[in-house]
Amino acid sequence: MTTPAVECIGLEKTYRLGFLANRKVLALRGVSFTVNPGEVFGLIGPNGAGKSTTIKILLNLVLNDRGHARMFGVDVSNPASRRGLGFVPESPVPYEYLSAREYVSLQYELAQLPPADRHAEVERVLARVELGDAAALPIRRYSKGMVQRAMLAGALIGRPRVVILDEPTSGLDPLGRRLVSDIILDLRRSGVAVLFCTHLLSDVESLCDRVALLVSGSIRKEGTMASLLSGAQRSHEIMVEPASAELPAEVSGLCESSERVGQHVLLRVADERLQAALAKLIGAGVKVLRVQPLRVSLEATFLEAMKGAPTRVGGELE
Amino acid sequence: MRPLFALMWAGFIEARRNRITVVVAAFAACLILLTTVVLNSTVFTLGRAVTDFGLGVMSFLMVGLTVFLSGGMLSSEIEKRTVFLIMSRPISRPRFVLGRYLGTVLTLTTLMAVMVVLYLSQLFFFEVPVTSAIPAALVGLWVELALIAAMGFFFSSFTSRIVSAISVVGLYFLGHAAPDVHQLSLYAKSEVVQAAARVLYRIIPNLDALDFRSEAAWGASVQASDVLIASATAAGWTLVFLVGAALAFSRRDFR
Repeated sequence: MTTPAVECIGLEKTYRLGFLANRKVLALRGVSFTVNPGEVFGLIGPNGAGKSTTIKILLNLVLNDRGHARMFGVDVSNPASRRGLGFVPESPVPYEYLSAREYVSLQYELAQLPPADRHAEVERVLARVELGDAAALPIRRYSKGMVQRAMLAGALIGRPRVVILDEPTSGLDPLGRRLVSDIILDLRRSGVAVLFCTHLLSDVESLCDRVALLVSGSIRKEGTMASLLSGAQRSHEIMVEPASAELPAEVSGLCESSERVGQHVLLRVADERLQAALAKLIGAGVKVLRVQPLRVSLEATFLEAMKGAPTRVGGELE
Repeated sequence: MRPLFALMWAGFIEARRNRITVVVAAFAACLILLTTVVLNSTVFTLGRAVTDFGLGVMSFLMVGLTVFLSGGMLSSEIEKRTVFLIMSRPISRPRFVLGRYLGTVLTLTTLMAVMVVLYLSQLFFFEVPVTSAIPAALVGLWVELALIAAMGFFFSSFTSRIVSAISVVGLYFLGHAAPDVHQLSLYAKSEVVQAAARVLYRIIPNLDALDFRSEAAWGASVQASDVLIASATAAGWTLVFLVGAALAFSRRDFR
């Protein structure tokens, strides 16, 4: 059995705030998930759900109260667990007087990689993120997108085994977003585990193999994209051209909704009623122009899972 | 050792590009100003004035810079989240503290070396003899700076930049008042004050023991053993503050 690249078991964390540390904010309650090599795992959830806290525990930036977090079987309290890790934080602020080349070289040294390969490896990752000549400029002169590329280059140094990305596409233009997507897919192809934390559900849908939905410090849903979406109600749209102004009453009864679009009517019908609705429509002499399954989006699943969650989620700490 | 050296070098590069060298320019400007004043007035004790002024300005600027650099070092690393990028590598928190501390000391040492060259040039220009107390004063200042930097790291490991800077400045003045505190512990009328002064004397580093400026100004001789003992004691305090900084930093949540 393969050792998971990332393993969280029953993580719990309560922040103690205030001068006397007497104010408590419950950030995580029993978060468990694994990410396997060659898998892109999306951690999604609203602000304050506990995504950043989970990532910080994995990086040993925040100490968990209970539970275990391991990377390739090594507890995260051991610095060796971060050997072979690449990380891009949300809104990173690197050492701004260093150039991207110097920053990536620093990351190379900190990763304790072979000195002889440093130059070639630094140039490889800088080329991969397409920073070009700008790599010699101090990072303080960079745009937000360029900073993100420099951080990505730092994360890719030394061919990591696991990459953690916290909102990697925020602030990037479409070309930059495409670059990040390509890099994530490349990483997956080469067997790297990617833990990907974002608000952009379209990115999750297109990139992730598995997703965990974190709400108020606990995981509400977890599974493959297909399994998450299969639980949701599926519907179909039927475009018809009725012979008269009104649709037959027996057809209207089978539809979730109907909307007049010029001379046509757009009906929305649940999956299990589709055949019956079509039969009634054809039987009534209504001309069926188009039948189209409605794609169940992750957003709908996300909103469904959010139902009943506290309206004020409280873990966000700035 | 490579990560430690890399952290130290990155800290040095950052400080150098952050226009820290302006401190050297300020020092040079002060020396030129002194030269102008001295050449346009009759100073009976020229050698003493030049020696004392140069050491005094160097000490003032370097102590201020040390408080500025070290007082907010760790707290700003957390506030700016630069620490996230470093800690994502196999680096322990104590090693991170040590690497950043060594970077600060390297920056201070480089700047002080440039200042010393300027200072000795001025002594040469005015034909002021370099007595044994001048190297002692310079070594004492360097050791003091390393100790103040460690204090700054200690306080910034658990407080904000401003609180840390105020604490370091307070401890700096207390440290220089250590002989007075000692006198108080011996001769205060109240026994409570004596006891409090005794405790205070034991828990503050004696920075006055590292100050050989007046000996340098007066051309008095300084025993090497005095410099060594004061430096060794300060090194012990530096270690205590660094261990404290590493422990406090290791227990923090970087929210």
